[in-house]
Amino acid sequence: MPDELNQESEVKEIVYALATSPDFAKSGACFSARQSGLYRSNDGGETWNSVYGSLTLDAPLMTTSVVLSPAFPQDGLVFAGTNGGILRSLNGGKTWEVAILRTPSPLVSALAISPDFAGDRTLFAGTMEDGVFRSTDQGTDWVFWNFGLYDPNILCLVVSPNYTADHNLFAGTENAIFRSQNSAHSWRETGFPLDRGPILSLVISPAFTRDGTLFAGTDSYGLFRSKDRGQTWQHLPGLEVTSSINAVLISPEYPLKAELLVLAEERLLVSRDDGLTWSDWCDDIVFEGDPIAVAAPSGLNAGSPLLVGLSTGSVIRI
Amino acid sequence: MKKIKNKRVIFQPTAYKAMQTGINQMANIVRPTLGPLPRMVVLEHNTKNERPEILDDGGTIARRIVALPNRDQDMGAMFMRHVLWQQHEKAGDGTATTAVLFQSIFNQGVRYITSGGNPMPVRKHLEKGMEIVIDELKGMATRLEGQQKIAEVAESICYDHEMAGILGEVFDFLGEFGHLEIRSGRSRQIEREYVTGTFYKMPLFTAEMIKDRDKLMAYAEDVPVFVSDLDFDDSAQFSPLLRVAGESGIKALAIIANHVSDSAVAFLVSISRNPQKFQAFAVDAPIPEEGQPVMLEDVAIQLGAKPFFKAFGSTAEGVTFEDLGQARRVWADKEYFGFVNGKGSPQDVRKRIDELKKRYEAAKDVEARNKVRVRIGKLLGGSATLWVGGNSDLDIEMRKARLERTVEAMRGALLKGTVPGGGVALLACRPAMQRMAAQAGDEDEKFAYHTLARALEEPARAIIQNAGCDPDVIIDRIDKAGAGQGFDVRAEKIADMAGVGIVDAASVTMAAVHSAFASAALALTVDTLIHHKKPETVFNT
Repeated sequence: MPDELNQESEVKEIVYALATSPDFAKSGACFSARQSGLYRSNDGGETWNSVYGSLTLDAPLMTTSVVLSPAFPQDGLVFAGTNGGILRSLNGGKTWEVAILRTPSPLVSALAISPDFAGDRTLFAGTMEDGVFRSTDQGTDWVFWNFGLYDPNILCLVVSPNYTADHNLFAGTENAIFRSQNSAHSWRETGFPLDRGPILSLVISPAFTRDGTLFAGTDSYGLFRSKDRGQTWQHLPGLEVTSSINAVLISPEYPLKAELLVLAEERLLVSRDDGLTWSDWCDDIVFEGDPIAVAAPSGLNAGSPLLVGLSTGSVIRI
Repeated sequence: MKKIKNKRVIFQPTAYKAMQTGINQMANIVRPTLGPLPRMVVLEHNTKNERPEILDDGGTIARRIVALPNRDQDMGAMFMRHVLWQQHEKAGDGTATTAVLFQSIFNQGVRYITSGGNPMPVRKHLEKGMEIVIDELKGMATRLEGQQKIAEVAESICYDHEMAGILGEVFDFLGEFGHLEIRSGRSRQIEREYVTGTFYKMPLFTAEMIKDRDKLMAYAEDVPVFVSDLDFDDSAQFSPLLRVAGESGIKALAIIANHVSDSAVAFLVSISRNPQKFQAFAVDAPIPEEGQPVMLEDVAIQLGAKPFFKAFGSTAEGVTFEDLGQARRVWADKEYFGFVNGKGSPQDVRKRIDELKKRYEAAKDVEARNKVRVRIGKLLGGSATLWVGGNSDLDIEMRKARLERTVEAMRGALLKGTVPGGGVALLACRPAMQRMAAQAGDEDEKFAYHTLARALEEPARAIIQNAGCDPDVIIDRIDKAGAGQGFDVRAEKIADMAGVGIVDAASVTMAAVHSAFASAALALTVDTLIHHKKPETVFNT
């Protein structure tokens, strides 16, 4: 194991990120990135096993982000962001290759993959301190440019659903939201209001090309929406929360189904009217820890399964 | 003509006639350079041994003409020269457009005023018309985004496909405020180089501090930086800094100082013999005349450092680790000090950028504006250098001048957007003038708006004429073709200008309208010319 990957001497288990296979309903395959490493479940989140068995680790390897190839059931490609590098598996986690980022190696805080990954082989890694890295060869080599990205502490990253044509991606940082229109070569600050950061979560409309919509969850100022590709942002007053919005999910059928789900104030809140009103996803649910990450492999229809990762390290299925 | 002591006074109608001749001479020299198929202007040098200068830029051409033989006419020519050079300085382009607009308004105005019109109300209405035209152009402007679109605008300014393609890429990366340097290259092409991070002209005090002999630079990672304009005359003055370094266990330290004595430099070199254990390097802060305090403040904000200034009585005594800035990567060579991802508060950087952008908008003086822009570019991080090649030194110089001009105009286009090119945006402003003329309360007002409506045709006419076509016929076809349609002189056909990528920087067009309309309106109010008996000197600036 390369020295650049910083292994943890003391582990306080937290789930940082979740990723589900496109064929989750059939295979039940999903991954959880945790303080103690990366775990895979093949039964929809009931049981979890570490996938770092093939690595020679002296101590747990904190894994902060995970992303799967859009064709995961066929190609088995998994990417995991760690403190110092990015791991790639070509077989669903059985074996791993390590890509070390340029020294001093940063912590990888977010991973995002091109929707046309099979064609362009492109994915992005947001890091703390070093901005956004890009790979155009399925994660073998990584480079960063980051012109205009004067806040290099990336907390979240989203890629346009029409990336192949528009080369757009957005990065949320401690203080601002940046937009790149040229595959992360250069960045421009969006019109996100000053002093409303940090931006913990971003989600982009599946119809972004037409509606230019994206949502941003902040640490203490609630949820914001932009309908003009980030030029202006409006606070959504219907969501009366002041705590961290750790995750925002959007319906795959948005805007036809204007449904949103947020993790806020230790609650799972859903809006079915484009953020005007909010209600609990389901009654009588009590989390044994703070919900940190959420995945909705089958969309946001009532009754669809949700996976929620907690600050205790457990993942519950609702 | 009357003679006062040591003065020569010229009244009307001679004054108008002389001014008009001078203005027309100057405008007619610049007019052939308008459009994508321009004619060159060749200027003989003062000394016969030097090669003649080939120019296609109206601003430079006007500037090279320092006097006309006839002193009465010279006043008109020099008035026009000043207007064109101001346009060149302000917008980087649009001088030929300014010239033909000015010429048309002035010639029509002289005819009207010499037949009994009143210049003062005419001036007032011309200036009102100017505001309306600028508002119309603002309404037409569309945001410039994407490499392809940026390249199209660049080509409409420089008429150089290779240059435009490179500028499309460069500005797509850097944005309107990005730091871009233009230098002479050795190849035949234009080559570009991008640098991640920020760098300032602060050389190492000695090349002995360079440890990386391959890259010829001092380099370290996660480096604390002491930002100051202090003088270090004695190596003992480094003690507080070295104590902090020792206590915090850091392996490298960068020092920005105004002066480090030879013995102190030797001391730093000696303690850096084993860079794996510890290395310190010092760079020379810029002199105050080159904007040292603000530059150091900018550096301190990016690095999260507390700057130590002599003016505030600061010394290195009592420095703490928290006073030092830090960056992920720091480098320095014989010319520059640079860093990547400074660890200053992004919020402070953002506030500084916002403050500078406001200052940029407010700056009237070109030099002040450019200085602010450079500072913004450095705060944003990332820069590019273009190495301009060519077939000969003359070719390189011409391309460099054209590139500099285009870059200036491109920054305006990125800030204010684009309008349809080929003179079409100005043609589209004619209906507004015609409406104003129809509502005019008196003859002077009616004349002013009719004059502007006619003048707005002139840039399109000149472009068509320079391409060897008949302006009357083509303008008629454009009018019949509808909104956004113009004459693509290269393809020799009517086309949707924006659709085929023929666009102009809105900032340039608006600046040309402002310069030409306001100056021509002012020139029409000239009543008397006064010469010194003997000109004291002729300036060639």
